[in-house]
Amino acid sequence: MKLVMKFGGTSVGSGANIRHVAGLVTEYAKNNKTIAVVSALSGVTNSLIEASYHAQRSNEKHIQAFTKTLLAKHTDAIKGAITSEAIQKEVTEITEKSVAELEKILTGICYIGELTAKSKDYVMSFGERLSAPIVWGAIKDHNAQTQWFTGKDAGIVTDSNFGDADPLMNYTTHLVQERLEPLLEKNIIPVVTGFIAANQDGIVTTVGRGGSDYTATILGVALQTDEVWIWTDVDGIMTTDPKIVPSARMLPQLSYQEATEMAIFGAKAMHPRALGPVSRADIPIRIRNTNNPKNPGTLITKESQADVKEAAKAVAMIKDVAMLNVYGATMVGAPDSYAKVFDVLGKNGINVMMISVAASEANISMVIKRELLGRAISNLEIALQEHGGIISEVTAEDDVAVIATIGANMKGALGVASKIFSAVAKKGINIRMIAQGSSELNISFVVKEKDGIAVVQTIHEEFNLGKP
Amino acid sequence: MRIILIGYGVVGKGVTTILAQKYAEKVKDYGFNPKIVAISDIDGAVINPRGLSPEKLEAIKQRGYPVSADPEFGNPGMNALEVIESVEAEVVVEVTPVNIQTAEPALSHITKAFKTGKHVVTTNKGPLALAMPALTELAEYNNVYLRFSGTVGGGTPMLEFAKRCLAGDKIKAIRGIFNGTTNYILTEMSQNQVGFQEALTNAQKLGYAEREPSMDIDGFDTACKVVILSNWIMGKKITLKDVDRTGIRDVTLQTLDQAAERGNTIKLIGSIDNNKPTVKPTEISKTHPLCVSGVLNAVTFSTEYAGEQTLVGRGAGSIETAGAVLRDLLDIKHKLANRMLNSNSESYK
Repeated sequence: MKLVMKFGGTSVGSGANIRHVAGLVTEYAKNNKTIAVVSALSGVTNSLIEASYHAQRSNEKHIQAFTKTLLAKHTDAIKGAITSEAIQKEVTEITEKSVAELEKILTGICYIGELTAKSKDYVMSFGERLSAPIVWGAIKDHNAQTQWFTGKDAGIVTDSNFGDADPLMNYTTHLVQERLEPLLEKNIIPVVTGFIAANQDGIVTTVGRGGSDYTATILGVALQTDEVWIWTDVDGIMTTDPKIVPSARMLPQLSYQEATEMAIFGAKAMHPRALGPVSRADIPIRIRNTNNPKNPGTLITKESQADVKEAAKAVAMIKDVAMLNVYGATMVGAPDSYAKVFDVLGKNGINVMMISVAASEANISMVIKRELLGRAISNLEIALQEHGGIISEVTAEDDVAVIATIGANMKGALGVASKIFSAVAKKGINIRMIAQGSSELNISFVVKEKDGIAVVQTIHEEFNLGKP
Repeated sequence: MRIILIGYGVVGKGVTTILAQKYAEKVKDYGFNPKIVAISDIDGAVINPRGLSPEKLEAIKQRGYPVSADPEFGNPGMNALEVIESVEAEVVVEVTPVNIQTAEPALSHITKAFKTGKHVVTTNKGPLALAMPALTELAEYNNVYLRFSGTVGGGTPMLEFAKRCLAGDKIKAIRGIFNGTTNYILTEMSQNQVGFQEALTNAQKLGYAEREPSMDIDGFDTACKVVILSNWIMGKKITLKDVDRTGIRDVTLQTLDQAAERGNTIKLIGSIDNNKPTVKPTEISKTHPLCVSGVLNAVTFSTEYAGEQTLVGRGAGSIETAGAVLRDLLDIKHKLANRMLNSNSESYK
């Protein structure tokens, strides 16, 4: 097989973990053409962002303290990951050079006092630029042939949307094949930094939301691999949060669409953006656990699992949300009234997670993040309520949670909604708001937050999600 | 319109000849005023930001290699990438020799032009054969046009015919003879009963075949054209390695005779349909419109509504290919004019 394996921050969190990861890669590479994609050591990306803000505020002292800690952290990892002294020395030299470069950049930002999206991407890129050589060294230490690349050198070319760049997929495919394919032919393992790439002029960009997973799926598509494996610290995607329902079970297979729905609801899966390239190219993804490599994990593929009897597959609860209700008699029949409401919210950076509207058109209910509630109410009132605007009243409930029931088999299945809602009603819990998209993959509803756990448990049981 | 010409071989010279004519004629009908502002060859460049006059172009042609020897505007040692980067122009015409191993240096010339916001007209099959999906994506991303009608059919507008005249129709399959050299050899073999090697030697004597003939007779040239048609007309994202390719080395007089007994003959056919794109010697009926002889090229488009459409014409030749460059330049000129007149419209394609 040809495989891309991506290792997240905790998988490469310490020297011992990196050594373990290198062992896994080397083992799989014996029988498979393998490409490794690595994230930054856990916590490093955030500390880089923080350091760049300190630099922007001209806090020069912080820079040296920061780079010293950063170097120490990575030197520790090198010692834990690599036994050969020669390789240790080689990797340490690369690391010292990178840290010195980072220090210069931060100092530059410090003197100018300006942090652009471009320079921030450059600073952030050091997280992976420091982790990849250690993984490379550790694989070499396992006596395997390997070579490390930045995303840029591997040939990933993106647009110039710094901080959230998207690949020019055809150009990327051309370059990646040209640069990595000859190595794979010779059984050399390419180790590629996740998250970072470059635009067509060679300026460093980051792929933003989706991060290293996105890099892995881009490489998977470019090299037409058989699968992309996302190594993480959980066994796979679960039917629900095991902290809420102890009988929660790992799901063996999901469709891309289901995985997209799950990711939105905070299951420890992938960002939907990262799923984009592979779902178009129909390359399966496997979520696997670095600490439990025997477990096959969750397979995400075009087809949902066929032999599942129950319509629902998983249930999730989203907390820290609020429900916002907008009333206004003049909204009825006015073609642009909803547009105005969402325009105001959008312009104030408020993302709407869920919407429900009655056909009477006299009110809109929506769910937003709880921390944004005050801003949302105030802006709607200012923009649309005064001077005979379209809104007469805005109310909110901030003690709610969204419960989402997900599953591809729900599509076209009769009685799913009635099963959910009667089970909830039997517990004497009131449902505040309901939404189901026409894809029928997901039924979401709002209950009081205090009832959330009971609702999740009820639904999990009602659909027998704990039994394979 | 200001033009940078990269490559000064037979096609490059053909381009300067045609453009000098047009410049002199001041073809008002087209509102087209082409000015060559730079010519680059392997040793340097000749640059005049105000446009090289027809007399100057003629003088450069008479003097021959290297172009940088021009006493007035010569820049010895300046390479093509520097010229593309530093000289102001709307279009880069890329006519350097074909390289199907790496597509260089043409590939770098074209990407450099895109990055500096210049449109590209090329007659070079290499970059397209190896990286066409990437190049069309990059052109679109940088909001510039890439035109290459000289790469398929030479003077015969095969690409434009399919793209424009058959717009809206669904092209289900394309079959064609896209290489004059092999067609000449096969014609010689079947009509004059000469063996492959002798026919090849004749073709070399007549200048139809190169001294190193592999590009033609092993089917690489035809395969390049199949790649271009697949991408441009059929929307398939393929490159040279995706084409199944067999050349004509193994075609014998005996197989030709056997075909003739059935009223058929053997041609090197490139074909694109729902299967893997292929290039291989194929038996076809002598009465089929595709069955052309000598150095002619022919293509048949099988369409959903218009049925079969066949186009026949000369496939190569410096002045024919230079004519294709002129067509592309005019196409870009029209597109640019539309863009400027409807500046608020986003439809650049």
